This record gives sequence, structure tokens and C-alpha cells, in this order.
Amino acid sequence: MLQHLQTEKLHHITRRRFLRDCPTGLGAMWLASQGLAAGAGKLKITHDPSAPLAPLLPSFAPKAKRVIFLHMDGAPSQLELFDYKPQLVKYNGKECPPEYLEGQRFAFIQGVPKMLGPQFSFKQHGQSGAWISDRLPELAKHADKLCFIKTMQTDQFNHGPAQLLLHTGNQNLGYPAMGSWLTWGLGTENQNLPGFMVLISGGRFPRAGASLWGSGFLPSVYQGVQCRSAGDPVLNTTNPAGISREVRRAALDSLAKLNAKAHQDFGDPETITRIAQYEMAYRMQVSVPEVMSIKDEPPEIHAMYGTQPGKDSFANNCLLARRLAEAGTRFIQLFDWGWDSHGSSAAESLGEGFVNKCRDIDKPIGALLTDLEQRGMLEDTLVVWGGEFGRTPMQENRGGGEGNRFTGRDHNPNAFTIWMAGGGVKPGMTFGETDEMGYHVASNPVHLRDLHSTMLHLFGFESQRLAYPFQGLDQKLTGVKPPKVVKDILA
Amino acid sequence: MALAAPALAEIDFARDVRPILNANCTACHGGVKEAGGVSFIYREQALGKGESGRPIIVPGDPDASELMVRILSDDPDELMPQPDHGPRLSDAEVEVFRQWIKEGAEWGEHWAFVAPKESAAPAVKDSAWPRNDIDRFLLARMESEGLKPAKEADKAALLRRVSLDLTGLPPSVAELDAFLADTAPDAYDKQVSRLLDSPRFGERWASVWMDLARYADSEGLGIDKRRDVWKYRDWLVSSFNRDLPYDRFTVEQLAGDLMPEATLEQRIATTFHRLTQANNEGGTDDEEFRVTAVMDRVATTWEVWQGVTMSCVQCHSHPYDPIRHEEYFSFMSYFNQAVDNDVPENHPVLRVPMDPAKYAEAGGLQDRIDALQEQIHQKRSSLAARTKWLPTTGMRGSATKAKLEVVKHEGVEEFRTIGNVAAGAVHTLDIPKPAGLTALTAFRVDVRPVDEKTAAHTPEWGAMLNKIRLQRVAADGKAEEVALAEVVADEAHPIFDPNLSLKGSNRGWGQYTKIFKPRHAVVTLKEPLPLPEGTSLRVILAHATDSAGGAYPLIAKRGRIALAGEAEWCTPDAEIDALKMEISAARKALAAIPSTTTPVIRDLPPEHARETRLFVRGNWIDKGELIEKPGTPSVFPPLEEAGKPPRLAMAEWIASPRNPLTARVAVNRFWLELFGVGIVPTPEDFGSAGEKPTHPELLDTLAVRFQGDMKWSVKALLRELVTSAAYRQDGAISPELAARDADNRLLARGPRQRLTAEMTRDHALTAAGLIAHRDGGAPVHPPLPPGVWRPFDAGDRWNTPDPGQPDRYRRSVYVYWKRSIPFPTLSTFDAPSRELCSKRRILSNTPLQALAVLNDPAFHECAQGLARRMKYDAAGDLDARLAFGYRLATSRAVTPDRLAELRGLFQKLEKDYAADPALMKGMAGTPDGAAYTVIGSVLLNLDEALIR
Repeated sequence: MLQHLQTEKLHHITRRRFLRDCPTGLGAMWLASQGLAAGAGKLKITHDPSAPLAPLLPSFAPKAKRVIFLHMDGAPSQLELFDYKPQLVKYNGKECPPEYLEGQRFAFIQGVPKMLGPQFSFKQHGQSGAWISDRLPELAKHADKLCFIKTMQTDQFNHGPAQLLLHTGNQNLGYPAMGSWLTWGLGTENQNLPGFMVLISGGRFPRAGASLWGSGFLPSVYQGVQCRSAGDPVLNTTNPAGISREVRRAALDSLAKLNAKAHQDFGDPETITRIAQYEMAYRMQVSVPEVMSIKDEPPEIHAMYGTQPGKDSFANNCLLARRLAEAGTRFIQLFDWGWDSHGSSAAESLGEGFVNKCRDIDKPIGALLTDLEQRGMLEDTLVVWGGEFGRTPMQENRGGGEGNRFTGRDHNPNAFTIWMAGGGVKPGMTFGETDEMGYHVASNPVHLRDLHSTMLHLFGFESQRLAYPFQGLDQKLTGVKPPKVVKDILA
Repeated sequence: MALAAPALAEIDFARDVRPILNANCTACHGGVKEAGGVSFIYREQALGKGESGRPIIVPGDPDASELMVRILSDDPDELMPQPDHGPRLSDAEVEVFRQWIKEGAEWGEHWAFVAPKESAAPAVKDSAWPRNDIDRFLLARMESEGLKPAKEADKAALLRRVSLDLTGLPPSVAELDAFLADTAPDAYDKQVSRLLDSPRFGERWASVWMDLARYADSEGLGIDKRRDVWKYRDWLVSSFNRDLPYDRFTVEQLAGDLMPEATLEQRIATTFHRLTQANNEGGTDDEEFRVTAVMDRVATTWEVWQGVTMSCVQCHSHPYDPIRHEEYFSFMSYFNQAVDNDVPENHPVLRVPMDPAKYAEAGGLQDRIDALQEQIHQKRSSLAARTKWLPTTGMRGSATKAKLEVVKHEGVEEFRTIGNVAAGAVHTLDIPKPAGLTALTAFRVDVRPVDEKTAAHTPEWGAMLNKIRLQRVAADGKAEEVALAEVVADEAHPIFDPNLSLKGSNRGWGQYTKIFKPRHAVVTLKEPLPLPEGTSLRVILAHATDSAGGAYPLIAKRGRIALAGEAEWCTPDAEIDALKMEISAARKALAAIPSTTTPVIRDLPPEHARETRLFVRGNWIDKGELIEKPGTPSVFPPLEEAGKPPRLAMAEWIASPRNPLTARVAVNRFWLELFGVGIVPTPEDFGSAGEKPTHPELLDTLAVRFQGDMKWSVKALLRELVTSAAYRQDGAISPELAARDADNRLLARGPRQRLTAEMTRDHALTAAGLIAHRDGGAPVHPPLPPGVWRPFDAGDRWNTPDPGQPDRYRRSVYVYWKRSIPFPTLSTFDAPSRELCSKRRILSNTPLQALAVLNDPAFHECAQGLARRMKYDAAGDLDARLAFGYRLATSRAVTPDRLAELRGLFQKLEKDYAADPALMKGMAGTPDGAAYTVIGSVLLNLDEALIR
């Protein structure tokens, strides 16, 4: 019944806004000028310009309401975490068989490299018997909640383009991020918070920077808002020195009255929107710091996540992710960094940096899954973990020698592992299989566009219909080639 | 939009039929997909037979046309559009098809692909209102729609609008007063002239063009490091200020380097197409990103000047416009010979004096150096051609960090590497003394791609020689080092000095970083080397010890050595020595001029040209047919080559009055900036899927006049637009008009636009009295909120000048633009990130904008500045001071009710701050100062302060 009413309201808005809606003006206007209605083709996404983030309904009943995407920038080694390869143990230290080198591009491997066996021991976990290495003991306890895809594939093997392809569906700059597509298509539930929030662990910034959460050709209101650990969590939410909340209220009251006079003079509907946005800004000044402050969380929660208020750690970001999810944020994007284990330095090696990174994420991710579950939120929160590509079963030998000073692996776009949990995916399963070395896909490849398509499906969209006209094409998150929904992993 | 009544009027294909085809048919039967062998892009195809064998369209006979059968069918398997693709065509649409076929199914070109024609201005009822012909066209449409124009805006509002539109800055109080006091009939025209002549004019319009040019001060992908390109931005500012005609402006940016006697400025203009993203992340393939840049140049050229989307044609024919897949690559061929290749050095770069007064001198010196290098190259090439090069016989090869073998290829000995190679490999080539050669004077090192045929279009990694050595080996095996004189490259202007390969350098002679074709260098000896019987030669080629992108070793994988005994190679040549002396003197003079650099477009010499091939489905790895020569799509008027360099001929073709799109697209773009919506409301698409012009005759007439009467003068065009009665209308929006024409396409009221991102910041700085004007210069780094600047490269610093320093308050056009970290104020107010060409900004209205103007430290500084002006610069009582502040922020005189509101707020705040002075800590020293600051903030946040 409620759904029916909301649909009615949408239809009403659609009719009313058809000719004046700015964000989708391109599409709607084109249709209007051509004198036709939308066919069964692309969806008509129509927002009320005065509330561009108000929630909309998808095409069909969604399984997931929000995303927490945990991106491990640099590409963690699947061969040290989830993709256990006994054959690789045997080949450890032997020269790479030539069939693995023929026609392959590498970022840094030269000459004939040696194979590198798994660096850590693996065990099966849970009822599902998922293989997880001893680097992630806390996550392993949640094995039966996870859905692994072992056969992810990407087209890019350098970090910048590969990260862009993962987050925007295109390896070039200038395309909307997943979170922008979703907030454009669905709006967000809490009008006092941005719908697409980005949290970055302290340290290095992702290479492609803000383009990973940019709105591309979609209106800028759908871009991700980066929450910062230094300064204001969201830019400019703190009043300048000398302006108290009371002073600000008084100033805004006057401003609203003066702006109402401007509206009387000019009749511009944008002025009304502006008055509303100043009020929302005022509310955000409270709601953002509130949701971004973890200091009032109970001690047992801090103990579970390993959080310390005031640090810009991955652990803090996991807890913030839960808080934002609870507050109704549509897309919560986390970036962790330092996973590029080439073996070129101690920090970028499997033996040292990688071990530390695993330690940093293991407990907080376990806590996040526990916490979401105990609040009944896991079922409609889609948690995704992964890097931008995988790593080679060969040991990297930069410059063509025997191997780097530290142990590491080069980039591998052919096969890598991600996992998902909650949000309508089957728990406790593994999809796809790699070859005996873990280098290529043996069965059931899943391209990034298939992942995107599957995610959109979980949110109630057919990826081919969520489209926006730009550069003469109906642009889609999934790009030009037809994607498929990985049906086998749907709960 | 109502369709023409089919039974009465004649059907016009482009107007009536094409839109129905595009909306319902071409998705499956178009340039991308030809389902059932049917496509509606070209007439000959549409008149053919589909896979069914039945004729699709039979001119004159609707009943025999399969098209009619299918759109009328009741069988869901037959019906078109297929029921799951779209709704059945309406009866009116069916009738359009029927009548069109009956009338002979004539094809007609899309309106924008046909040259514009000038029309006489239509007659109008209200002959008093129009000030120029623009108004007559607009009024005729209004009258036909039953609309009336609005009254003229009041003078203050008008001066604010035209000042912000033309210069991006609000009028000063003195300018407002002068205009208000001027009752002469041409008072407004005088203001327009003043604004067009202002040096601030160019800064405003450069900002607009920089979105199109994807201007940024950083490279983009990967490390996104700094890139000096700001001399191009200064060129833009100056071009708009001196009203460089738009056709020249076009040609200089696309082919300035090829213009006869090209000046330094014209070469700087070509930085336009060097603003593509680079990728210097380790392990990237330079060719992949070179190609990406070339394709971006194609897309950007078409989007900027032609309003046609070309990107889609890289994978397949255009989905609805008559541009074929192969035509994309013919056009790409114009840009495929540019030297630049995504290397970290960004070459080719041009030295540009900091002081524009020195441009001519520096340009002359650079030209002189180029000419002298060319002369030396000619002399050396002719000697090389006269030389009898002896091939090796019995050469043996060995190597460190690589495996080497010697094989015979087409009768000539070659060394080749086996398997993978590593950086720093050293090839040692032992060469028996050729019979008959008694003394050696020079030898030639040939480096060849392993697969020459493929490399011609898809290159291999090249080789860089760190050090070239020669030894004479006596019969007893004792090796003796031979002194070498010079490395002579096979091109006149090598990027690096080839002679560095004699001293030991990773950037000496070689192919950096890719090799397309066999390349060679001649290495000369200091003096002829006698070769007694029993001696042999040893050539040692030590390669660069670094790798391209940290990953790809630059090693010769295949090559040859040839020997020469001509004495001339070792004979001193006074002429060459003199040329070299002159070069070195010119270089010294050039180096003495304080300069920066800018990357520019320069083409490869013809002998090193790359092959252009079609990319199958747009994939650069998968090359298809050879593109014999560059060309423009055949739907447009042909290009006149007249023996010109192809890229120059293409640029002139775009800038020609015969090009149907260039002037229309330009006129529409300037119109859009002033009126808020284009005459073609989709400035990004003038193709058949874009919107049609609201006033086609007006657009065409302006386009013809822009390229004719106005001689491509942008200032003349803008003057015509801003002096129209339409532009001068009051911006108030009645509810009826809001419902009728929310976008103001019919212009029955004046434009009322939010300030652009740049204006928002510049306006606040101006109202605060802080703005610092200075023409051009290196990018500036105004205050950033804490936590924003986190570059990937930690060494990249954002150093903000202290309060009071002018560079803290420069205009936004000069703010350092980093693609991966957008300047928050600008991006919050809808500036694009400038990764790709951006044709228009879609304005948003968000709480983040409110927070920025309320709380961003830089805006707060402006509120304080405005407070100081109210407190110290104004005379009179409180009301006078508040009125002054209001006027600074809005250009308007304050009304009594507004003044009362401001007074009330001021008095309350002053009282509160006086009661609790701790409250104002960190903001102001006195209660009234604090109250003025809050008032200043309120004023800067007014709706009226944020619009123009």
C-alpha cells in the first residue's frame, strides 16, 4: 500500500517536473523535443530539484538498501588470503613455466621469474569450508557469512586506471562512481546527510583521487563527499571562530527573511530551494559531527573494533561506516591503502607490510560484520571487500634479476578474489575457480561489469536501463559491453 | 512539440521523419546495430532489402514498403518497434511515414549539417520594443505564443548583470553611481564598451574556454604531478582581450605550429591539445596512453568546434548521424603524427619567456636553432647517403643481462636477443675486419623492431644507449679503446643530445620510449682507425640502466652494424663547426632569458611518420585496415588541401565559413553563457539526437553574421547580444511564466543566473575589497580548508601566501588546478574536474554550497573584509553603513524593510557580543566589529549576492 502511494507520488512528480527538471533535463528534454515517450529502454530518473536526494524507488524490489565498499588500494594478494593453491606450494622457487609468460604483460616482472608459493598457512573455516589463511583469524570466524568470487577479472593492470574501472566502470577519468549512480537512481534516506560518503584510512590517498568518487557527467550533487579526519569531517561544517550556534541561527533567520523578500521580488523558484538548502546546511552542522563522532560509543564496541577516537585508522572508518549505514547513508566507500606488495620495500612486501595491513583490517572487518548482524542490518547492507586487481603467482623480479630484495608479487588482472556479505547475496559460498597456479580463471569468470550489474540488480535496477545520455551514448555504469548478473550468488 | 499536419504540409525528412527514426528505430537499425540487415542512417541502405529479402522502403509506394507493413502489424512477432523495445507508433507518426514514402521518400540532411542561411528579421506587432534584430526574431516567436516581453531591468540590476557576464566581476560602487547618474541615451552602450575593453574581460572568458580545453595544472592519471601549462592560460586571456578573431583563435590552437612563420604565441596556442591526461604511473604502456590522448584530441576537437559527439564513432559508426567508423580514424590521422608520447618529460616542450615582451626574441632564437639543426642534418644525411656502408661478416654477439644471437636476415647479419631482457643489458659485438677496409672512420648502429610490419602502427619498446664504445682487438686478443667523436642521429631535432651516449647517460641516443620503424645513428671516430690484417673490431652497446615507467627495459632487441672508411667522416668541416658555434650561441642567448616551459604539439618528420589504422571495435590493440590519408567525414563540405600540411588544412576547414557547424556552435555557446540556455539547448549535441534550436532563423542569421559582418569578432558578437532588448529585460519570473517556460527559452524575461564557481569566489573577494588584480603568471595557491590537500606525491606542496599578500586574493582563473584534488570552492559550485572536455556546467543548489559561503575560512575572511568596509570605509550612521554593505554585495540599493531586518540583527548581535565578549574571540576585537562580520556573512550569502 505504502509502495503504491509512493509510486503515485513519483508519477505525479514525474509529470510535474517533466519539462523543468534540470538534472535530467538532457534526457527529458530530448524526449520532449522528439515528441515521444520513454519506451521500455532507459529508465526515467526524475528528481524534485528542490530535493535532489529525496528517495526514489527502483524498478523492482531491492534486496539491498545500502553499500559498504571496502576497497584495499594497491590490490591485496588473493594467494596469501583466500585463493589457496597447493600446486603453487610445489612450484615454489622454480622457474615460471613458459606458457605463463607467453603474451602476458607485466608491470614490473622482467626476464624469467620464479614461482612463489603461498607465504602463509591456510585452513578451511565454517560449515562452508572456505579456505582462509592465518592472516585473517577474525574474518575467518565469519566464513559462513561471506560469498567469495575467486574469478574477478579486470581490463587494467595499473592502479590508477584499474581503480577507476572498478569504481566508475571506465578506466578514464570523468565517469560517475558507483555511489553516484546509486544516489542518482535512488536518492538517499537521510536528508540531513550526503547520500554518498567516502572515508580514507590515514596515509596515502588513492591515485586517481576524487575521480574515484566523482559524479562525472551526472549532476555534481551526486558526487561522493569525502569525510576528513583532519579539520571538519565534512568540509565547512564548523562555524568560524566567534560565531556560535545561536549567532548562526539568528543570522540564518535574517537571511531566510531577506531571501524570502528576494523571492517576492523575482519569483525565482531557485531562491526557495536555496532557503531550504541553508536550513539543511544548518541541520548538517549537527548531524554530520554527530554521526562522525565515535567517542560516545560504548567501550565494548571500541574493544570489538579496536577503535581509538581521533585516529584516522581503518578501524575507526569501519565503525563510522556502521554509524553512517544506521543513519541511512546510501553508499559508504572506504579506502585503505598500502596493499601493493611488490616486494620493492619492507612496507610493500608480503613478509612485512602485508602482514601489518592484514592485522589492521582483520579485527575491524570482523567487528563490522558482527555489529551489522547484531543490529539486524546485515540483511539489507551489502558489504563488498576487494582490490582493483590481483597478484601474480610469480615472484616479482624488478629489473630482471633473481627477485626483489623483499618478497612480493606483480599485478594480475586475470583473476582475483573479492568477497561480499549481506544485502541479498548467498552466504557461505564460493563462486568461480582459478587454474592450479591461481593465475587465470579456470571456470566462471566474473568481469567487473558483471559485478556492477549484480550490485545494481541487488538494488532493484537492470544495469542496461540505468542510463544517462552523454557524448552521444546512453552511458551506463557497466559500459558498452553487455554485462551479466551473477545469478548463482543471489540469495 | 506538435508534428506538422501530415495531410496538408509536405513532409520534411530531417524535420519530421528523422526524429521518429532516432527515437524508435535507430537503436537497433542504425550505425551501431543493423538488426536484420536494416539501417536508417543512409538512404541507399534504407531503400535496400533487409535479411528478409523484402524492400524496406519503396519510394512512392507505402504499401509495398516493409517498413509500413511492420509498423502497422498486429502480429507481435512482426510489429516494429518490437513490443518489448517500445510502444507502438502513434497514428500521426504512421501517417508521417506513409505520406513521406508516398512523396518519394526524399532524404534530407540534418539541419545542422547544412550551411546556415541569413534570414531577414520577421515583422513584429510591437515595433517599439526591439533594439536590434535579435529582438525581432525573439519577439515574433513570443507574439506567436501569446507572450509579451518583460520591462527593462532597473539600471543597477542591468549593470550588475552585464559586468558579471562580461568581466566576471560585479560593478564597483563608483561605477554604479556613474552609470546611475548618466542620463545620456548611450549610457548603457558606453558601459558595454568599457567592460569589453577591460583587461578583466579576457580572464572571464578564458575560464569558459578552459572547461572546453580541459585545462588543468596537473597531468591527470597516475601521480597527477604538476605540469607547467599556464602560459597557454595567459595566451587565452590575452586572445580574448585583444579580440583575436575566432577563426584565427581556432586555427592557432589546432595547428599554430604549422602556420607560415609561426610565432611563439601561435606555438603556445597548441598547448590546447597537450592538455590531455598523461599517465606516469609505473608500469604503464606509453603507447596506450599516447593513443588515449590522440583519441581525446579527436573527441575534444569535435565537441568544442562542431558540437558533435565523436567518441562513440571510435567503436562503431555513429548511432544516428551519418559518420562512419572508418571516418573517425581518417580524422584521427591528423593528430596521430604528433611527437608527444606520454613520457614523464612531457616533450616536446617549448621554452617561453616569463615576460611576454621577450616572446619575439625567444621565438626568433628558437627558429634559428631549428633551422641550423636542419642544415647540419641535411649535410650529414647527404654524406651518409654517399657513404658506402659495409655490412658485417662473421659478427659474433654476447651480452650481459640478455642473451644474444647473430642471424642472417635477407642476407644481412643481425644481432637479436633471445627471451626476456633486463635493464642495463650490454651487447658486445665482435666484428671481423671487412676485406678491403684499411681504416675505419665511422660505423652505423641500426636498431630495428622485431616485427617491423606490426611496429609500424603498434610500436615495440625502443632502446636507449647509455654508452657506445668501440675497441680494436689485435690478433693476440688485446683490446684497445678507440676515441669516438660524435653520434649523428637520423633526425634533425632529437629530444635528447645523442652525443651523451658517448659519455654515459640514460638519455642519450635511442628511441624514447617506443620504436615504430628501423632507426639508426652514425658514430664517427676522432681520427681514422687503421685496421692492419688480423685485427678485428668490437662494438659495445651499453643500454640505459633505468626502465621506461620503472618496468620496461629499453634494450635493442634486433640490430645491425655497418662500417665505413670514407675519410670525410673524420675530416674537420668548417661549415658544420660554424653552424654548431651559432647554435651554441643562440642556445646561450635563449638560456639567458628567464623562462618557463609549455608542452606543445609538433609533428614527426615525414620519414618517421606512424601508420594509422582503424581500431577494430575501438580497441587500440586490434588494428584493422590502413588509413591511407587523413580526411574529414564526407557528410560535410570537402576540405581544401592546397598543398598545406594536413593538420593545418583541417584547422582551416573547421574555421571556414563553409563549415556548417563552427559559427553556429560558437554563437550558441556565447548565447548560453549570457542567457542561461542555448538557442540549441543541448550545446553538446548539434547532431540529430540533440535538441532543435528554439529560434533556428535567429541562430543561423547570427552565425552567418558572426563569420561575415562581424569578421569572427567575439567582442562584436557579445556587444550585439548584451545590447539587445531581450538581454536588458527584468529577470523577475511570474508564476505563469514559470509554468509556461521555466527554462526561459522564449526569453519573455531577462536572464537570472547563479554566479559561476569562479564568479562566486571573485565576487566575494571584490565585495570584501580584498581582490588583487594582476595579469597572468604562475598559478596561485589561495587558502584551502584543512585536510583537503593530500597529494599522492607528498612532495607536492600547497603553499598559501599569508593574509595581506596579493596572491592570496587573485582571481579564480589563476588558482592552481589539480585534477585529483579539485579546489573545493570551485567544485562545490559546479566547476568540472576538467579531465575531459566539458561543454556546459549543470548548476546545482546544495547545502554544501551554503556551508562553503558560510564557513569556508576564505569566505569568512571576505565577511571580515566586508565588515571592515562597512565600519571604516562608509560615512554616516549605522543605516548608511549597512546600506553600503548591502550595495557592495548585491549592487542594489537597500529597501527599508531589508534595512530594518539588517539593523535588527546588528543591534541584537552587538548587544550579545558586548554582554559576553568571550563569544567573539578569534573573530573581532569589538562588539560592533563582530556584529559587522556576521552581517558581512549574511550579505555574502544573500540570494541576490549569488546571482547576476
